[in-house]
Formats: sequence, C-alpha cells, structure tokens
Amino acid sequence: MGKTRRKQIIKLPFIVNKSTFVSTFLYYIFTLIVIYGTLLPVIAVVLYGIGGKGSDDTAAYLLRGAHYLYNSLLLAVPVTLTATFFAVLLSFTLWRFKFKGIGFFRVMALSPLLNPPFVGSLSFIMLFGKRGLITHDLLHLSVSPFGYWGVFIMQIISLTTLGYLFISSGVQNMQTIYEEAARTCGMSERKILTTVTLPLLKPEILGGMLLIFLASMADFGTPLIIGGPFQTLSSDLYIQITGTYDMRGASISGALLLVPCLMAFILQKKILKKRAYWGRDLQKYDLLYPHPSKRVQHTLIAICAIFFGMLILKYGFIIIGAFTNNWGHDYSFTLRHFVKLNEREWLPFVNSVKLSVGVGLGSALLGVLCADIIYKRKAAVSKWLEIVGTLPAAVPGILFGIGYLVTFKYPLFGISKFYWLSGPRIILLGTSIIIYIICIFRYMNVGLRSGMSVLAHLDPNIEQAAHTLGASKVRTFFTISLPLLKPAFQIAYMKIFASTMTTLGAIIFLLLPKNKVAVQQIFQIITSSEIGLGAAMSLSLSALMGVLMLAFYLLMHGKGILMALWRKNNEYNL
Amino acid sequence: MKKIFALLLCLLMAVAVLGCSPKAADEVPATDVAATEAETAEAPAEEPAAPAVYEGDNWSSAYYTEDMKGTTLNLYGVTDNVRPILDAFEADTGIRVEHLTMKNGEILQRLANESESGVAIADLWFTGGADTFIDAAQNGLLIPYKSPSGDVLDDKMKDPEGYWHGTSLTLVNWVVNKELIEERGLTMPTTWDDLLQEGLKGEVSMSNPASSGTAYNVVSAILETKGQEEGWKYLDQLIGQVPYFTARGSDPANNVVAGEAIVGINASNGDRELEINNPHIALVYPADGTGWWPQPVAIVKGTQHEDAAKVFIDWVLSKRGMKVVADERYAAVARTDIESPEGIVDISTLNMFVTDFQANAKNREGILEEWAKHVENK
Repeated sequence: MGKTRRKQIIKLPFIVNKSTFVSTFLYYIFTLIVIYGTLLPVIAVVLYGIGGKGSDDTAAYLLRGAHYLYNSLLLAVPVTLTATFFAVLLSFTLWRFKFKGIGFFRVMALSPLLNPPFVGSLSFIMLFGKRGLITHDLLHLSVSPFGYWGVFIMQIISLTTLGYLFISSGVQNMQTIYEEAARTCGMSERKILTTVTLPLLKPEILGGMLLIFLASMADFGTPLIIGGPFQTLSSDLYIQITGTYDMRGASISGALLLVPCLMAFILQKKILKKRAYWGRDLQKYDLLYPHPSKRVQHTLIAICAIFFGMLILKYGFIIIGAFTNNWGHDYSFTLRHFVKLNEREWLPFVNSVKLSVGVGLGSALLGVLCADIIYKRKAAVSKWLEIVGTLPAAVPGILFGIGYLVTFKYPLFGISKFYWLSGPRIILLGTSIIIYIICIFRYMNVGLRSGMSVLAHLDPNIEQAAHTLGASKVRTFFTISLPLLKPAFQIAYMKIFASTMTTLGAIIFLLLPKNKVAVQQIFQIITSSEIGLGAAMSLSLSALMGVLMLAFYLLMHGKGILMALWRKNNEYNL
Repeated sequence: MKKIFALLLCLLMAVAVLGCSPKAADEVPATDVAATEAETAEAPAEEPAAPAVYEGDNWSSAYYTEDMKGTTLNLYGVTDNVRPILDAFEADTGIRVEHLTMKNGEILQRLANESESGVAIADLWFTGGADTFIDAAQNGLLIPYKSPSGDVLDDKMKDPEGYWHGTSLTLVNWVVNKELIEERGLTMPTTWDDLLQEGLKGEVSMSNPASSGTAYNVVSAILETKGQEEGWKYLDQLIGQVPYFTARGSDPANNVVAGEAIVGINASNGDRELEINNPHIALVYPADGTGWWPQPVAIVKGTQHEDAAKVFIDWVLSKRGMKVVADERYAAVARTDIESPEGIVDISTLNMFVTDFQANAKNREGILEEWAKHVENK
C-alpha cells in the first residue's frame, strides 16, 4: 500500500512542473554539504591511517587491530542477539499486555534517555566486585567483575533499553488487523507470532539490532572502566591515542572498526529492501492480545521485573554513591560530593546545554530537510544522499572525531590538504564551531529517519494543491512541508538533545579549554579516584537533562511561544 | 538540461572558492614572517633594555604590564586540580587562564596536530610527565624561556635550554588497602621486595608501561637501580604478581580503593585527599627508593600571547606560585625554599631513584619491547 502510493507521487507532480533553477542549485549545494560533513572525514581517516608516512608498518598495526577486532566482535555479536531478544520481549510485554504497574515500567524504560554516563559501570563494581555489596558481603564470594562478563552485562543492561526505544515504536504502530485476520482463519497464536507479527516488525527489529550492534562496537567507556584485561577495538583506539601517542595506529584500528559497522549497516538495508513491507497508516489499532495465556503473561512480566530490578539497582546505587561518604565502604549520608561539585566551575554544564540545544536544533532541521528533499526529488543522487546522511550512525563516535581532526586540521575547511598545503587561515580545528558541526552531522540521521517516517504518512495532494495554485517550491516548502514536518522535528530534537548531552567519543579530541563539556569532566573525574564526586556529577547531569527535556516538552505542546524562543536560542548558540 | 547546468554552476562555484586560496596562500608566509619578526624584535628587548621588572608579592616578572589584565590564556594539563592555582594567578595578575584536562598522550597528539595546521589553541602546558615535555621539545612544539624565577631550581628539575621547568613532583608510591592487609594477615609492604610476598599474588595492580607513563617510569627506574640483569629478574617476579596490566596509570589506585586489589602502583602528586577521603587506604613510599619526575610547565609554540605566557611561568616558579601549588595540590614542589603545608611527604626523607629523563625517553622502545617479551613468558 504505502509503497505503491509512494511510486505515484514520483510520477505525478513535480518533475512535470518547471523545476526552478534556484531549487535545483540549492539541492546540489545541499548534497555537497552533507557529503562534506559526513563522508569526507570518514574517507580522510582511512587514508590517514593507511597512506600516512612510514606505511611499511601498516601490517603490524593491522595485526594488532585484528586481535582487538576479534574481541569487539566476540562482545558485540552476543550482546546484540541477547539485547535485541530482551528488547523485543520488553516491547511486547509493555505494549501488548495489560497489568498493574505497567505505567511505572514504561516510564522506567525511558531511563536510558537520561542515563548518567560512565557511573553505571562503577555501581556494578560496587555491587558485584571482589568487595561488592552483593557478591562479597551478601554471598561471600570473591569474584572479579573485571573482564568480558562485566562488560557484557553492562552493555546488555544499557543497550536493551536503547533497542526497546526503537522496537517499541514499531510495536505501538502495529496493524493488528493482520493478526486478527489470521486468528479468524484459525491459526494458532504461536503461528501468528512467527508468521505474521514478527515479520511485520522486521524493519524495527533489524533497525534495533543494528543500533545495538553499532553502540556496542563504538562503546569505549565500558571496556575502559571494567574491561580489565579485556579491551575492544574502540577502547584500544582511545588507549593508542592517549597512552601510546599513536594517531596513525589509531586510524588504522579505526578503519578496521569501520568494516563490520558498515557491513552491518549495508546488510540491514539489503535485507529490508528485498521485500516490500506493509505501509503504516495513521489509524490506531487495539494492541492488546485478546485472550492472553496467563502463563505466558506471567513469565513475560517476571522477566521484565527482573530486568527493571537490575535497572533500578543500577540507578539506585548511583544515587546512593552520590549521597554517601565513601561509595563501596562507608555508606553514611553526606552532601560533601555536591558541596565539592558546587565549588567547581559550572561552565562545563552551561557549555553542555548550549551545545545540545544548538545541535538539537541544527541537526534536527538538517535531517528533516534532508528527508524532505530525498522524498520529493527522485534523482539518483537522492538515494545516495540518504545513505551518506545515515552513514555517521554507523561510524563509532571516536573514529568520526578523529576523521574531523585529520580533515579539518588543514586550512580552508580541510580542502587544502588535497590541493594546496598552505591556504588562508580558515581552519576549523581549534574553533568552537567544530564540535557543533560534528554533532550536527553525526545526529542528522535521527532527523532524517523521523522525517522519512512522517512523510510516508502525508497526503501528497496538499503540496500539489499549493503548487497548482502557483506557490513556488521554496514557498511550498516553508508554508506547507515545514509545518507538516513539525512533529518529526520535535521528536528528533528531543532525541538529539539527549544524545548530545552525553556524547563524548566524537568530541573528545576536538574540545577547547573554553568549551569543555560536563561529560568530559565526568570522564576525567572518574579516572581520578573521586568516584563519589563522579556519581554526583553524573546524577546532576541527568537531572539537568530531565528538567530541560520536560521544559522542552511543555514548550512544544504549549503553542506558539515556542518558535520565538527557539529562534532566540538558535541565534544565541550558533 | 537545467539540472546539468545547475550542477556545472555548482562545480564552478566550488572551483572558484578553491581558486581563491592560492592568492590567499601567499599571505600565510607573510604572517609567519611577521611572527618571526616580532619574535626577533622581542629578543633583544629581553636583555639590554629590559623593562622595569614588575614586583608582585613574592613574585616578579619582567614581562608583566597592567594592560595584560583581561587577557585570556589557554592551558592544557593532566589534572583539574590546577584550577585553584589558575584562579590565584588571575587574582594576582588579572590574566584569566582557561584549562582543559586531558591525558599526557592526548596533549602531545593535540599539540602536534595544532602545530601542523598552524592553529595555536593552547598557550601553556602545565602538569604532565616530563617524558612528554621532552618529546614535545624535541619535536619543536615548545618555546624555550629561561625564567629568572627558575634559577634556584635544581638542574634535574628543568630543561637545560629552558623548554620546560619542573613545578611539583610526582612520586611513585603504593596505594595500599589497609583493611585487606589486616584481613589477610599480610605484612604491610615497605620495600619493593615486599610486593613479591605470596599473599599478594594476583593482588598487585599495575598499569601497562606501553600506555602509562607511571608504569614506564617504574620499570625504567627499577632497571636503572638494579641493573639490567637483576632488574629484569625482579620484574619477572613482579609480573607474576599482577593479574593483568591496566590501560591507564590511574586505574591501579581506583582498583585498590574499590577493593579489587590490595596494592596499586601509583603516581602521586600528593594524593592527600585519597587518604583523607578513604580511611581504609594508606599511601606508602617504598623505603628502598622510588621513581619520580617533575610536573613541568612550558610555553606552547605558536602562542599569540607569548609575554603573558612568560608571566605565568615567572609567577608559577616564584615563591608565591610554588606556595600556591604546594597548598592546592598537596604536593612536594621543585623549589626547596618554601614552607610545605602539613601532611605532605617530605622528599628529603625519601630515597629517590636516580632518573635520567632524557635516557628514559630515548630507550623507551627497547625497554617496552623487552617488557612485552617478559609478559608473554609469564
């Protein structure tokens, strides 16, 4: 349905019409900019690693990288399968069944949006370490949490919720009429699940899987903090730069890291392309299973409860860590960490908010705009625009950051590297704008995706009508398309805001003394034995995010004041 | 047709933008020349027609002028603890210093990148391992400046050409979990050989010398004091005690605080707070000698505020600056003529390994290769 409808649009309105010269021109400029911000840095980092001076030792680097790549995959593949399994389970339990306390679970499931960075692993050590509260004091065991299993469990907990956010949106929009039809035909519930429900959800499940796989591959903080002897390619990349001062080695490792990420990315696209999927209409169906088996329901709820129990344990323990004298040893109440926090500069928090608001606006707009262009302009380039726009999602942040570093350390936005070695001093590296640019391009795929999904529901006739009445393309865009895309923009803005607040990998090598952000401070503090302060700071960051996101939510749903404020903010930040 | 035309125009524009740059490129050497001119112009002014030396309270600088107030300097360093020191400097001079905390290697990498692209973000580099400063000086990333305030420093504490001066001292010590020592009935370690006791097997935490300056310093210091043969024999035994080598120099201390290990080999800048905040932790300085290095300060090449940066060096090496450093970092400092705050280990009572930093930096690759072999044979 959706697919055929889309095809009609292509043939009908715009191409027949005189396409204004300006819009075509802008289109190419736009495409160039997107390629510039997303593709070039990735190519640059690969070239830098392989083509750099003294490239005879490339083989040795590759060998070293291969070992860590094996570790990365050894971790990412099981994590992806397990976390996706749990995420699907959670999505079904929380949206297709009804039971007491479901509201609480649903709210809890949104917690990764406010995840206090890094300290989750610390609370794991305090609970399950050699001297951990549970393992040692309760069970009298002495096991080391450092190593593969520590990282595995931490990633499962955090990535399941990430996958849930993605998969549950598919579950919520399911067209249960197909199930109903199967049921009427007398199919068993199990058969319905495997032949109707799950195939219907294939795009979301695969999308969630990809998301989890990429996040696991890119995660360098968890292995660094509790990996012990087990380090992955991402964390080794960080160690190579900070410990062995070896940028080229890091670039080669990075190029290796890119291979499985891109493969997963392409694979997902390929699988989804083979078959047409039912389009989604905006009608809401009753999601609840009509006659749920009690046994199944209880099992599912029990699994969910265990999962959320661990989540609560993790977050609860972080709160305890922030408010007690000596996390792990002396659990008497204190506010000293917050007093100390207050003595520190607040600037990093201000910078974090500025960055996140600026990037949220810029990136969501760019992404939505990109979606609009791809959707309406069916030139061959459009397909590539989509791929290029989503590419940064497949590139681990730390590698993307190195890409920017090696691209934009040359004058004239990096171009002079390929043409002239000395150019005018327009060098992005070392300016505060570069961290905005990198985040904007890194997250534009969020806006792109939500834009695409909203556009798929839109009635193309509205725009056509405007066009017939003589509105120019540009005008149509501003008066028709943009207002229609507002919900996509809002969703993307929230997601990007939250991601930017806690992002570190991409910007860690690009920060300046004057625009350091809170999450970088937390990372530093945690490595310096002041874990109580680290917990307090992480918690404060989460609280700040929560308050701001609530404020944004109220603003978005509180009529027109909003746009004016946004514009004001925008000017202020960019 | 129009589309093709648009594309062409697009390309044309791109080329036009690019085309502009060769013209502009000529300007770059010009600014470079200007910069060097400025430098040479300054150089003679330094000696004969020395401007009136500004005398502050316990500090002085020939470069300080009132109009520097409101200037902002950027500083790279390895610890956030420099903040109060920078605030004290601002109170004295009106010069604001913004700092960014990174790991040693990251700073080195950044300076190299920034020098390659000709952007100077940092004016100063304060705190870090002496080996990275030596590396940076050799690669032309620093500007030499022999501060008069640094004259009193011991020769070991500064670069002979003035590329860097030591401020506080980093001492290698052990972070020990007293609780666990008692619980397991072990003897509190006091000498390096005590680390080899049976009960500490798998309980000694040490970082990987390939990625941590602390561990590298320990390894090279042990080799220097015990000699190659004895040294490696000892290291082999030590390797047997360590379950795995952590990635970062800060990890062992964290492991011990969390109870994951009993003894952690740590680089300390005082770390009084670690003891105060964690009653179950003791800091032990090995009785038979320990590794150390100065935490230098240096001016980064390419700075636009060279004079202000020199004021900072003068200030931080002065009695006033060193006192602030000692008080704020709880650290032993390079100057011997100031009063140390209470609770700081007195370096005169310590047995410090003789350390040749230049040789350390030079032999690094060979030692690390050998180290890797010994770890494999474990």
